[in-house]
Amino acid sequence: MDEVFKALADPTRRELLDRLFERDGQSLSALEERLPMSRFGVMKHLRVLEEAGLVTTQKRGREKLHFLNPVPIRLVYERWVGKYAEPWASALSELKKDIEKEEER
Amino acid sequence: MNDEQAYAVIGGRGSMTVFEIYIKTTPERLWEAITSEEMRARYSFGVATVSEWTPGSEYKASVPGVIDIAGGKNIEVDPPRRLVQSFTALWSEDVQKEGTSRVTWEIEPVGTSCRLRVTHDQLGEDANNELYGGWPMILSGLKTLLETGEDLDTPGSLRYAGA
Repeated sequence: MDEVFKALADPTRRELLDRLFERDGQSLSALEERLPMSRFGVMKHLRVLEEAGLVTTQKRGREKLHFLNPVPIRLVYERWVGKYAEPWASALSELKKDIEKEEER
Repeated sequence: MNDEQAYAVIGGRGSMTVFEIYIKTTPERLWEAITSEEMRARYSFGVATVSEWTPGSEYKASVPGVIDIAGGKNIEVDPPRRLVQSFTALWSEDVQKEGTSRVTWEIEPVGTSCRLRVTHDQLGEDANNELYGGWPMILSGLKTLLETGEDLDTPGSLRYAGA
C-alpha cells in the first residue's frame, strides 16, 4: 500500500490516471501528447504507477497500451471507507424499497 | 498517429478494460475459488456460477428464481492458468442490449502469491460501465476470501446473498 500512496502523491501521475480514466488503453505516445513533459519523463511516471499496480499494460502489435487498474484504490476504500458507506447504502436501499412500494399502490 | 489508432481496439471491435490483483495463494486454490459454485458466490454479490468448466461448456451466473446475472461459454479452460469466457450480461434490459463480450482470467504465480489479471474486452464502444464496473469489488472480495477465509461485507458486495 505504500507504493500506491507514493504513486498518488504526484500531480503528473494523478493526471496520467485522469487521462486513462477518461479513455482506457492508451499508448505512451497518446499520453505524452497531452502532457508538457519529455517522453522519458512520462515513461518514468508510468513506471511508478505500474509498480504500484495502478496501471497495467498489454502489448498490441508494436505498441504497449496502458490501462487504469482501479483495484488497489478499491482496497484502500474498503480498508477505511467501507464501514462509513454502509449506513448510507442501506438507507438508500430502504428509500428505494419505500418508493417502489409507493409506486405499486 | 491519430487518436483512434492510439486507443485499444481488440479483435477489430470494441474497447477493453484490465483489472489486476495480487493474492497470497496458490494457482490451484485461486482456480478453485473462480470455478467453485459456493466459493464464487461468496465474493460475487452472493451469486453462484454453475458450469462443468470444460472447453465449449456453458456457464450461468444467477440466483435461481430471483435474477439472472450473466451467462456464456467457456472458450478456453486451462487450469490453473487461463480461462477465456464469452460474457453476456443479463441483469437488466439495458445491459442485455450490450450483447456479448469476452472475459479472460489469467493466473500467474509470483513468489508466494499469484497475480490475477481479468481482461474484459470486445466491449462495444462506449459500453455501459455497469458491464465491467463490478470487477474491482469482485476481485477484492476474492482476495479477502482467499487470504482471510472471510467474506467481504462492504455495501453491495453481498447484494444477492440469501435472496
